[in-house]
Amino acid sequence: MKILVCISNVPDTTTKIRFTGENTSFDSSGVQWVINPWDELSLTRALELRDDPASGVKSVTVIHSGPASAEPTIRKALAIGADDAVRIDSPSGDAYSVAAGIAEVVRSEQYDIILCGVESSDYNGSMVGGMLAEFLEIPSVSGISELNVEGGNVTITRETDEGKEIVSVPLPFAGVVQKGIAKEPRIAAMRGIMMARSKQIRIYESGPEESLTGIKSFEKPPARDACKFIDADNPEQLIDLLQNEAKVI
Amino acid sequence: MVRQIIFAISLLITLAVFSWSAGRIMRYFRFTKSGYKPGNAGRRILLMMKVAFGQTKIFRRPVTGLLHALVFWGFCIIIFGSIEMVIDGLTGTEKVLKFLGPLHDFLMAAGDIFAVMVAVSVIVFLFRRIMMNIPRFEGREMKRRSHSDANISLSLILLLMISLIAMNTGYTGMKRLSGEEIAGVYPVSFFLSGLFPTFRAETFGIIHEASWWTHILLIFFFANYLPWSKHFHVFLSVPNVFLSRLDPPGRLTNMESITREVRLMMDPETAFAATSQDVMPERFGIKDAEDAGWKNYLDSLSCTECGRCTSVCPANITGKLLSPRKIMMDLRARMKEKGPLMIRNGRDYSDNRSLVRDYISEEELWACTTCNACTAECPVNIDQPSLIVDMRRYLVLEEASAPGGLKAVFSNIENNGAPWQYSAEDRLGWCDGLDFEVPVMADLHAADKKPEYLFWVGCAGAFDDRYRKVARAFATILNHLNISYAVLGREETCTGDPARRAGNEMLFQMQALQVIALFRSYGVEKIITICPHCYNTFRNEYPDLDGNFEVISYLGFIRRHIDEGRLVPVSAAGNGKCRVTYHDPCYLGRANGLYDDPRRILQKLGNNIAEMGRNRSRALCCGAGGAQMFKEAEKGEKEIFIERTEEALRTEASVIASACPFCMTMITDGLKYKNREDEVKNLDIAELVVQSLGL
Repeated sequence: MKILVCISNVPDTTTKIRFTGENTSFDSSGVQWVINPWDELSLTRALELRDDPASGVKSVTVIHSGPASAEPTIRKALAIGADDAVRIDSPSGDAYSVAAGIAEVVRSEQYDIILCGVESSDYNGSMVGGMLAEFLEIPSVSGISELNVEGGNVTITRETDEGKEIVSVPLPFAGVVQKGIAKEPRIAAMRGIMMARSKQIRIYESGPEESLTGIKSFEKPPARDACKFIDADNPEQLIDLLQNEAKVI
Repeated sequence: MVRQIIFAISLLITLAVFSWSAGRIMRYFRFTKSGYKPGNAGRRILLMMKVAFGQTKIFRRPVTGLLHALVFWGFCIIIFGSIEMVIDGLTGTEKVLKFLGPLHDFLMAAGDIFAVMVAVSVIVFLFRRIMMNIPRFEGREMKRRSHSDANISLSLILLLMISLIAMNTGYTGMKRLSGEEIAGVYPVSFFLSGLFPTFRAETFGIIHEASWWTHILLIFFFANYLPWSKHFHVFLSVPNVFLSRLDPPGRLTNMESITREVRLMMDPETAFAATSQDVMPERFGIKDAEDAGWKNYLDSLSCTECGRCTSVCPANITGKLLSPRKIMMDLRARMKEKGPLMIRNGRDYSDNRSLVRDYISEEELWACTTCNACTAECPVNIDQPSLIVDMRRYLVLEEASAPGGLKAVFSNIENNGAPWQYSAEDRLGWCDGLDFEVPVMADLHAADKKPEYLFWVGCAGAFDDRYRKVARAFATILNHLNISYAVLGREETCTGDPARRAGNEMLFQMQALQVIALFRSYGVEKIITICPHCYNTFRNEYPDLDGNFEVISYLGFIRRHIDEGRLVPVSAAGNGKCRVTYHDPCYLGRANGLYDDPRRILQKLGNNIAEMGRNRSRALCCGAGGAQMFKEAEKGEKEIFIERTEEALRTEASVIASACPFCMTMITDGLKYKNREDEVKNLDIAELVVQSLGL
């Protein structure tokens, strides 16, 4: 059984976001890129399954659609323990073109489980997983918080508003993964880091579909105003401020 | 002649059995790693004279220390008499060394007196062990065997001393009554033989002969008991002190195999080149007995299970599983188990057990604060923390296993250059509110200027709300003194200290090599730090990676300027003479011996210093060192920071002064926990100085 984990290359969470070209493109200078946190957790769970002989999972491949500048992030995934890596050589596209590109690779390489994080922490699109299942005409399961595989049988726990749902699904399927799938992301061991330096990343040509959407401009959320502290013994001041300054009562 | 033959045979048997049993233990050294190379014989001899023969560290507990020193010195003197007995026994002579004249007289007299003192000490020891409930002698690792072993050894020593005194009494009585010359002086025995006026010369002769044989045969037996006992320490403690490390205890050894790898990765030419198999060491860190260095194994053989290390271990004191004594006993026991298997089946043999996990749990390993209290206390200079960190290195580098909090720290350091999740762009946030400009290195460099000092702010100074105030206080002092300095601002990044102490040597070296390259690019020569952990790393660990800089603690810097009259306190800190207690940060104190500067500064500020019970080299860790700051504490009965805060509160000081960001966090939390944060302030030395300067 083979697992494919889709990984996004996203700016580290502490990055200060800036735009260039009159707010039409993201300024990536000086940005530290990391594996999208949800994808990192999917990868961790996939590796746990591979390391458990009872699961029947034999290998874990990671795939990324994007330019060569993403290779350090892909190598990080190899260092953490992925057996193999694929990069679809395309400029960053929208969810539609990314999902189409990945679907092409899955068609030719045959994976049993395809995992995507629920969203990427940069554009928060939340679309690739579902689109991928549509392209491949295979089942998809969303909101996965637990994934168990034993001898080829898949049991999934989904978080819903009402509680938990336990589902089973035939192979192959595309899974969209929530936090909780793994306790904490796996870190790279020394031998993994050393091996990852020399592993081959397989390159596929750009996918079959062009992006359907494009970004017109970016805007940052307005900066939050400073917080005012009012002494607990002074409720009158609070009422005064709410009435006359904030004008909410 | 028959007597000589019997003697020679017993001596031969003794030597043969001893070499066999000692050889059994010593042959396992061949499985250990060579790494550690002790040089500098001169300093080592001094160290050995001081710590081994001078017994300086055992005197850290004065009463039992004195008793042990008497036993040790007694043995050193009495051994001359034993050598004389062996020669006499072989050659049929009597008191063969008497030709030494006054020296012989002195050695015999000293041995005679010491025999009594040793006997008395041993009786006290036996009383303490059997009748008194001393916590230090108990613990998870102390089995019935450990107790009986100690009592057997002590009883043997007592019998040795009794037989020695009986022998000397018989000898002096026999000689006196027969009017022959007494070779040597025996003040105690001469007096004792006078107490038996009814005895004849022959009776004394029989006593002498019987005691002579009893004594020498006991020596032979004792020598052969030792290799089977923890008291093998009698033979190995002096060499162990001689071979112990001379560098500051805060320094961890550099893993060369990792340096090679990091340099390859940092060079774009080789970054993605294949790794050749021959540079891969067979194992990173220590998993099992054969991964340990020869000095680790020698440490374990030198351990006599006195438990002084465990009794000062902050983790153990607060009820956690870790016991430094157990770590040493476990290594010894594991080697004893696996050594014979490796001799039979080769070094690569696996019995599917290992030192880590089957003997020492991860929970124990992660509980260490690397405070170095254990090694500071050990009378024979055993180095427990290095072994613990080497086992952490195995867990992290080989198994990628670490507590969740530390994994997050690793990611943060790797991605944003700080143990916390903050952007490097906010590194100058601490300067907000200062009424002067803090010079930034890149700006000065662009203007072709070079400052004298680099002020290294550290991640806590840059991001921790409380410690930002300390960074501001120290910058205020620098500004007040008109010092030529600059900070790195957004170019600053973690030194790698928490990663290294958490076993992630790879990440440490990536950070270190990056920082060293940055320092070189600006031609940095002198670095002032306000963080003891950064200070220790720069001073003791960067030189191994060719980063040699003059590293100055802000405390030394402030002290110098006060002493030289450039900083003049106008009022004592905290409005008038206030009672201050000082908490020694482990990485200034034990790790680097900086005890006097902070105390001197506090005195100059006009404060009354109230010392805590455990201070200076005995100070209790705050609980945050060794990357503990960033993870949950292991299960125990109490938090370390509460134990330490309670001790500080007992001094009734109104200010707890500290000099470390982690200690600051811990003690501030402790004060909150005890609901005392309104009356008692936790302030950094730099803040007290700024207050008293009226700045």
